[in-house]
Amino acid sequence: MISEIDRYASLSSPIHRWDPRFRLVSIFTLIFSVVLLYNLQLVIIGMIFAVILTCTSKIPFSFVLARMKLVFIFVIPFFIIIPFTIIGTGVEIASFSGITLSYRGIEYVLFAAMIVLKALTAVMLIFPMIGTSRMDITIKALEGLHLPNKLVQMFAFTYRYIFVLDDEFMRTDRALAARGFKKRGNMYTLTTVSKAIAMLFVKSYERADRVFYAMRSKGYTGTIATLHEFHARKQDWVNTAVVIGFALLLQVAATSDTFIATRGFI
Amino acid sequence: MVHISDGVLAEWLWGGGWAVTAIILAYALSKMKTEDVPRLSVITAAVFVSSLIHLSIGPTSVHFILNGFAGVMLGILAYPCIFVALVLQCFLFGHGGVTTIGINTVNMGVPALVAYLIFRAGTGLDIRPETKSVASLFGAIAGGVGVVLALLFLAVELITTGEEFIETTVLVMSTHVPIIAVEAIFTGVIVGFIATVEPELFGKK
Repeated sequence: MISEIDRYASLSSPIHRWDPRFRLVSIFTLIFSVVLLYNLQLVIIGMIFAVILTCTSKIPFSFVLARMKLVFIFVIPFFIIIPFTIIGTGVEIASFSGITLSYRGIEYVLFAAMIVLKALTAVMLIFPMIGTSRMDITIKALEGLHLPNKLVQMFAFTYRYIFVLDDEFMRTDRALAARGFKKRGNMYTLTTVSKAIAMLFVKSYERADRVFYAMRSKGYTGTIATLHEFHARKQDWVNTAVVIGFALLLQVAATSDTFIATRGFI
Repeated sequence: MVHISDGVLAEWLWGGGWAVTAIILAYALSKMKTEDVPRLSVITAAVFVSSLIHLSIGPTSVHFILNGFAGVMLGILAYPCIFVALVLQCFLFGHGGVTTIGINTVNMGVPALVAYLIFRAGTGLDIRPETKSVASLFGAIAGGVGVVLALLFLAVELITTGEEFIETTVLVMSTHVPIIAVEAIFTGVIVGFIATVEPELFGKK
């Protein structure tokens, strides 16, 4: 059911070799920079850069596209609705139950396209950012970046438990199916699924306590222990300079007169 | 639940979302003990996994949100849980946006805290197998309120960002009405179940 984001973490590419601490900060900055843009050309330039980064990381594009489906579900309505429904004048197309459809012209389509492209670029950048090293290494990098220790531990434990509980729930699901249970849109289904999840919680709580005592007795203190140590090399700094430099460049370009900002049509 | 994607909201909204999240998160983390980590993580993971279960009700497919439930079980500590769940959802599934993690946490987390207050006021946290029905009732109310408030927050944010989002907001809200009922029933049943099976879980905060 859940496929892992770090499936392609073992590939070898310049992005994979980049120190995860630097990689996280740089690409995170780039994501914010792209989202702050309000000019379609600049967003497209940002998107091209995101595609280049993804290609450099050698993560298959089919994998990236499959993950981007969910973004479409949230963003596509904007794309379809905005050009037609902005209140005010326009070429009225249809009107039903108080909602007027009117077509306001190409600039609204472009505005909607900008929103969609920004959202897609941000999600695409997650792949070179997170998908290029094993999740435990990424979590260790978060510790290296001095995030609050309890938060880092929560990421580590939660990430592990997601797969454990997913398996556990699959077992319950199979047990229900074996007894002839079918999911339908009725009250019985709802209460049964609710109780199955409730049982998942109760079992997981007990498991968590057991695991924690076991870890404690083996000397767990809260620091993430892996055999991987980070060493910043010159190449890491160069990569960081390129990506953050590009992020800043986008912002500088956004202030110039060449790229006029479009901030909605209110 | 609809997670707001990148680039939709005005900067001051998602920036403000990060600020509010940072403050509540810092407070919640200061209340949290290291021993709590595995248990909280399990709840977070369970919320995450349950939110992947889709039920088809009528023409729409809905999934559990469980923010009200997290609030009922964890109180203030639900906030870091929801934050971690949203971050992982964003990075593992591309669900929602990166810059909007802050505001999305506010949308789910603050209603979770309200749900907890309602549940605490209603039951006095005196949960035993005998008081199961009261716990169930207030669990259901808390679960429903969690979703209603989350939707309300989302609606207000979209509309303040721009008038062009009004119709979208109406559409999003109307598709989510069944979720309110589903979530209320779900939280009621699960709270009643835990009150019977292992009531001491409510005291573990």
